[in-house]
Amino acid sequence: MSGHSSWPEWIYVGVVIALMVWVGAEAWNAERLVDHIPEDAEVIKVTGQQWFWSFEHEDGTKEIGELHVETGKAYKFEITSKDVNHSFNIHDYVVLMDAVPGRVNTVWFAPTEVGEHDIQCREYCGLIHYNMRGKLYVEEPSS
Amino acid sequence: MKKMIVLFLVLAVMVIVPVMESAFAAGDEPGKYLDRRVIIWNLFFKMMTVAFVVGAVVSGTIIWQCWRFRESNPKAKPTPYEGTDWSN
Amino acid sequence: MVLELQKPRPIWQIMFSTHHTDVGLLYLITSLAFLFLGGSLALAIRAELFLPGSQIISDSMTFNRIFTVHGTTLIFLFIIPFASAVGNYFVPIMVRYKDMAYPKLNAIAFWMIPPAGALIWLGFADFTWYATPPYSIISAPGPAADMWIFGLKILGISSVLGAINFIVTILKCKHPDMSIGQVPLLAWSFLSSSLIILVAIPTFAAALLMLLTDRLGVSGFFNPAMGGDPIAYAHLFWFTFHPEVYVLVIPAIGMMYEIIPRFSRKPIHSYQSGVFAFVLLSIVGFSSWAHHMYATGMSFTEKTVFMVGTLAAVPASALHVFNFIATMWNGRIKFATPMMWAVGGIALFFSAGAGGVANAAMPLDFQTHDSYWVVGHFHLFVMGTIAFGSIGYLYYMFPYVTGRMYNEKMGRVHFVMSFIGTVMVFFTQHVLGLYGMPRRIFDYPPIPEWIAMNQIATVGAMIIGTSMVIFLINMIYSSGKGKLANTEDPFGVGGKYYYPFEAKNPSH
Repeated sequence: MSGHSSWPEWIYVGVVIALMVWVGAEAWNAERLVDHIPEDAEVIKVTGQQWFWSFEHEDGTKEIGELHVETGKAYKFEITSKDVNHSFNIHDYVVLMDAVPGRVNTVWFAPTEVGEHDIQCREYCGLIHYNMRGKLYVEEPSS
Repeated sequence: MKKMIVLFLVLAVMVIVPVMESAFAAGDEPGKYLDRRVIIWNLFFKMMTVAFVVGAVVSGTIIWQCWRFRESNPKAKPTPYEGTDWSN
Repeated sequence: MVLELQKPRPIWQIMFSTHHTDVGLLYLITSLAFLFLGGSLALAIRAELFLPGSQIISDSMTFNRIFTVHGTTLIFLFIIPFASAVGNYFVPIMVRYKDMAYPKLNAIAFWMIPPAGALIWLGFADFTWYATPPYSIISAPGPAADMWIFGLKILGISSVLGAINFIVTILKCKHPDMSIGQVPLLAWSFLSSSLIILVAIPTFAAALLMLLTDRLGVSGFFNPAMGGDPIAYAHLFWFTFHPEVYVLVIPAIGMMYEIIPRFSRKPIHSYQSGVFAFVLLSIVGFSSWAHHMYATGMSFTEKTVFMVGTLAAVPASALHVFNFIATMWNGRIKFATPMMWAVGGIALFFSAGAGGVANAAMPLDFQTHDSYWVVGHFHLFVMGTIAFGSIGYLYYMFPYVTGRMYNEKMGRVHFVMSFIGTVMVFFTQHVLGLYGMPRRIFDYPPIPEWIAMNQIATVGAMIIGTSMVIFLINMIYSSGKGKLANTEDPFGVGGKYYYPFEAKNPSH
């Protein structure tokens, strides 16, 4: 029965550990960049509930099922839920954060081009989870 | 041995470059905000490059050795353990 | 040999038996029955998702119930009982003891499985196999939800009783001449997974009880309306179920440690590395649970800690891959059916792990969380590694259990179709997730790329399903009418097979 550890195995383990350290460092760095919310980000309150999204802008404007934002601005979403867990997701902008009742989670983004994008729910929430969708409209700044 | 050195150099470069990137502070001014899509997808493609390279090496090794050491290979020879009481 | 269909034993003799070979056979038949039941649900899901709109399932609630029961069945009623089958049959033989340490308790642990399975199937809950609150408290219809909770409670107890039995059998009942460093790696895999079960399951047992009292309205642990926190459940659940995935995979790797050296006609390259890797994984596996919760609003520091814990487990798994490759090196490999499944399983294990490392990188979770990437990733583990290892081992133990050989050609066809099908379904689902398709959805918008990938996945699933029918026919026919096997060396690989295949079943 062989029980020795040969040098190829040590090199292999060393390479695996080095790769894991590299993955961790890269991920840490990217998360640090993405986590940093610009100070002038405009707050949009997002509320998920069975089975639609509603939004409230800083100036009090409310929208249901659709959200209008402008290019060149940074937005910070403050997300919560009224009933069960949901997850707010704008896949095209890699925005994803759970909507948990009783707490507020934040995520930010800064849209750069005009366009229409899908908003979807990314946490099972029951009967119409599959169709808890919305539309994000990114428009030119009005001013 | 040479392959080890090349692999090590490639990995070293891949470590140094992002460290240099982080020296530049995150964008904060209007019009110059960081694009999270770019950061995240770049990270993803870097991960995929490494994953597919390592995957090609590992699966290539497995495929080659399954071919070379199959019992129907004309070059196949009995292992030193055959004929002995090796199953411990 | 305990299943000689040509000279059948009375069924009650097997059912009331406490001998480890009979209990192993009972676990085996039960787990295979649930494999086919749960697998049929998967085919229903894939058929439904072939196109947008409703295909064969009329409403989303039915769909939600189907995927919930599919996941619950395959994890708790196939993978775990199948591992128990293998462990029950072989662990006493491997440690050269006459039975498990506690034979009656062993039988009791088995007999908890059918009622628990009945509760889960008769209830058919809809809240996913996580049962996350608040949905599972305030929105999931009962009595299905409560039946599921009771079913899982019973399964948890069964697991813990089985774990106690394995640990005592291996550590205390092994032959006096056998040191712990001579116990085969398959037995070590059961020791490791049993230790994980003992530490991890009680947490979920507590969470289930709290979920039940919350549902009854007498407590508010996870219900924000009563001052509770749903995230607390997520921590309790994942503290159990991240280590649980190692409970699922470690026995399958152990099974590959039986097959790969034997069919390479060489001993395992490094027994010590195998033991070290199992023990290390069991410990480090407890440090990564909240990587399932990256999207719940954790702080940067918390996410980093769990990312490090996740990455720390990778070298342990990588050690097994090295061990298998080094074992096959310079061997003279017979690619009989069991070996094909084991090697295919290792290749898919590696690709599952590679995708998992990408997942562990925190920011990539924003892309992949709760999308089909995750579905593809974990299925490469549970199907590509665990099911492949398990099915390979089933082919391997077939001659020992029945005294007959299965049909080799059908076995190979089964492997090739399953491998192609697995790649078609689960590799594609990684890409589908990158395109944004969420999990657990009954219907999806008519995005052309989503449709194309769903169709590829459905075709792959149907290929797997067909191969499983071939498998079933092979198993049933060969058990009764297969060619008699040379039970000294049924595969002709040489070496003295050191497990005396005649476990001394008293009624046989």
